[in-house]
Amino acid sequence: MDRSLRSGFLESFEAHPDAIAVEVAGEALSYAALQARAAGVAATLAREDVRPEGEGRPRLTAVFGQRSTAVVTGILGALFRGDGYVPLNPTFPIDRTRAMLERSGCRAVVLDEHGVKQIAEVLEGIDTPLVLVVPDEADVDELRAALPAHRVLGAIDLASASDWTPGDAHPDDIAYLLFTSGSTGQPKGVMVAHRNVNAFLVTMADRYAITPDDRLSQTFELTFDLSVFDLFLAWERGARVCIPTQAQKMLPAKYVQESEISVWFSVPSTAVLMSKLRMLKPDSYPKLRWSLFCGEALPSEIVEAWAEAAPASTIENLYGPTELTIACTLYRWDPARSRDECELGLVPIGDPYPGMEVLVVDEDLQPVAEGETGELLMTGTQLTPGYWLDPEKTANAYIVPPGQDRVFYRTGDRVRSGNGKRPMVYLGRMDNQIKIQGYRVELGEIEAAVRDEADVEVAIAVGWPVTSAGADGTVAFVSDPSLDLAATQRALKSRLPSYMAPREIRHVDSFPLNSNGKVDRKALLASLEDAG
Amino acid sequence: MDDKQIREQLRMWILDRSGASPDRLARDDEPILDDGLLSSLDIVEFILFIESLREEEVDIEAIEPEVFNSIDTLMAAFFPDAPVAAGAAG
Repeated sequence: MDRSLRSGFLESFEAHPDAIAVEVAGEALSYAALQARAAGVAATLAREDVRPEGEGRPRLTAVFGQRSTAVVTGILGALFRGDGYVPLNPTFPIDRTRAMLERSGCRAVVLDEHGVKQIAEVLEGIDTPLVLVVPDEADVDELRAALPAHRVLGAIDLASASDWTPGDAHPDDIAYLLFTSGSTGQPKGVMVAHRNVNAFLVTMADRYAITPDDRLSQTFELTFDLSVFDLFLAWERGARVCIPTQAQKMLPAKYVQESEISVWFSVPSTAVLMSKLRMLKPDSYPKLRWSLFCGEALPSEIVEAWAEAAPASTIENLYGPTELTIACTLYRWDPARSRDECELGLVPIGDPYPGMEVLVVDEDLQPVAEGETGELLMTGTQLTPGYWLDPEKTANAYIVPPGQDRVFYRTGDRVRSGNGKRPMVYLGRMDNQIKIQGYRVELGEIEAAVRDEADVEVAIAVGWPVTSAGADGTVAFVSDPSLDLAATQRALKSRLPSYMAPREIRHVDSFPLNSNGKVDRKALLASLEDAG
Repeated sequence: MDDKQIREQLRMWILDRSGASPDRLARDDEPILDDGLLSSLDIVEFILFIESLREEEVDIEAIEPEVFNSIDTLMAAFFPDAPVAAGAAG
């Protein structure tokens, strides 16, 4: 039978039923216990005959919550039934959650206590009756009374796990639908098929030789697709996924040590925070086997510190947009050669995963020569089917380049392609390349210069003041109150062409971050607009 | 600063950072992490702020995650000896 996203979990359940599958907030569930709970949810969705309106629409179930056994139960429950899952995040604005729920067309929502708190407000204005499943709560009378138009089911209302029969899940069916921010303000749903995510998981489970003894961290929110790596890579091989609570996330160092994490995966910003909190002291994390970073550019300086803090671990930089399923290129840090291979102070993104293919193109979508810069296009087993109910956006981003006969995804990322001797390097977003007074400028280059002069880990440059053609100049932001801003600015003027040297360097108490933990450039730009 | 003033400073900082309305933090035992009033992304800045109020460094390795649960738990962990203003103890 074809494998689907639930297959790895079910195989581990058969092989290691008593092993711990998930640990959160002091509660540990074995594979057997989690299988039983998820089967109960799946049987309930089947009993209630939850189905979307419209012929041929895929069946999707939303999961609304965070960092709880109920949400992992909901994710597996949806997959057991043969549905795809749609993660919703209680820390997002209510209006955004409502838009995602409506757009997805889900007719069932599985909730934890955080989701329960917000669901009445989310459902304001939604008249379609929904099935609301609260698997960890016996008493749902209050919610039922508050939402008479919907069918609310608590733990005691669920079908028995023994009633569950696996629902069909074809490799081309949606495993999860994940909303990312769209440039128009409307969330954009990325459909990821079972065959995409399975190609990824099988490759990665082998690469990292995951065993039932491993413990994987889950630092990511479910609305960030990197969370799929933590959960399903652990479950693929009978390992344990350790989900820190919001409080535990405040002190990641303590969590890694106390939970005996062996595979760490986070955005680089988390490592930067840990460095600032003096949490990267040498030999702090002797049990880490793997330290993996993804989601934004990885500064080499932070890798050097991390390597000392976790001396037994191998460090890898992963790269990939949601549209190419979690991650699709990687680079292994090697102290002997990596320092020379970094560019602009950033770690290379390296080589494509097995089954994936790289094409670096110029403005006319023609391949550039090896070692040249251009936009990164990729295709292969992890190429997702496109955007949910949005053929126009899909056609713009999933293209057949001239001279090619297959669909490639346009990442919008600017890279220098590998040339056999030097690995592929991420240079920034295509839209981080701006024109200043007619000159083509890569903001990443200015940022590298500021990082170097100011001896800081993070610096962000934006084009300012904005003009119709680009910008008249740049402003840089750093987060270091002790820095002599005027002296740094003078030093940069002697180092960069005048049109590139920041007109001003501003100190920020901390960088604004978006919901995925990346530096929010738009917010920095907005702060300049607010200041007039 | 006395106990009441420090509590007010913490409340203002958290509300300012999150952009939430004051009624979200009406009581000092209100959870500040679960609903996203404060997140791990704020931790560095928040610790620096606490250090500025205490006028001494925080020993990160000695604290437990639970201290971030509410203003009450923050007070107990970081400001155990803050004087209670005259007349406020009632």
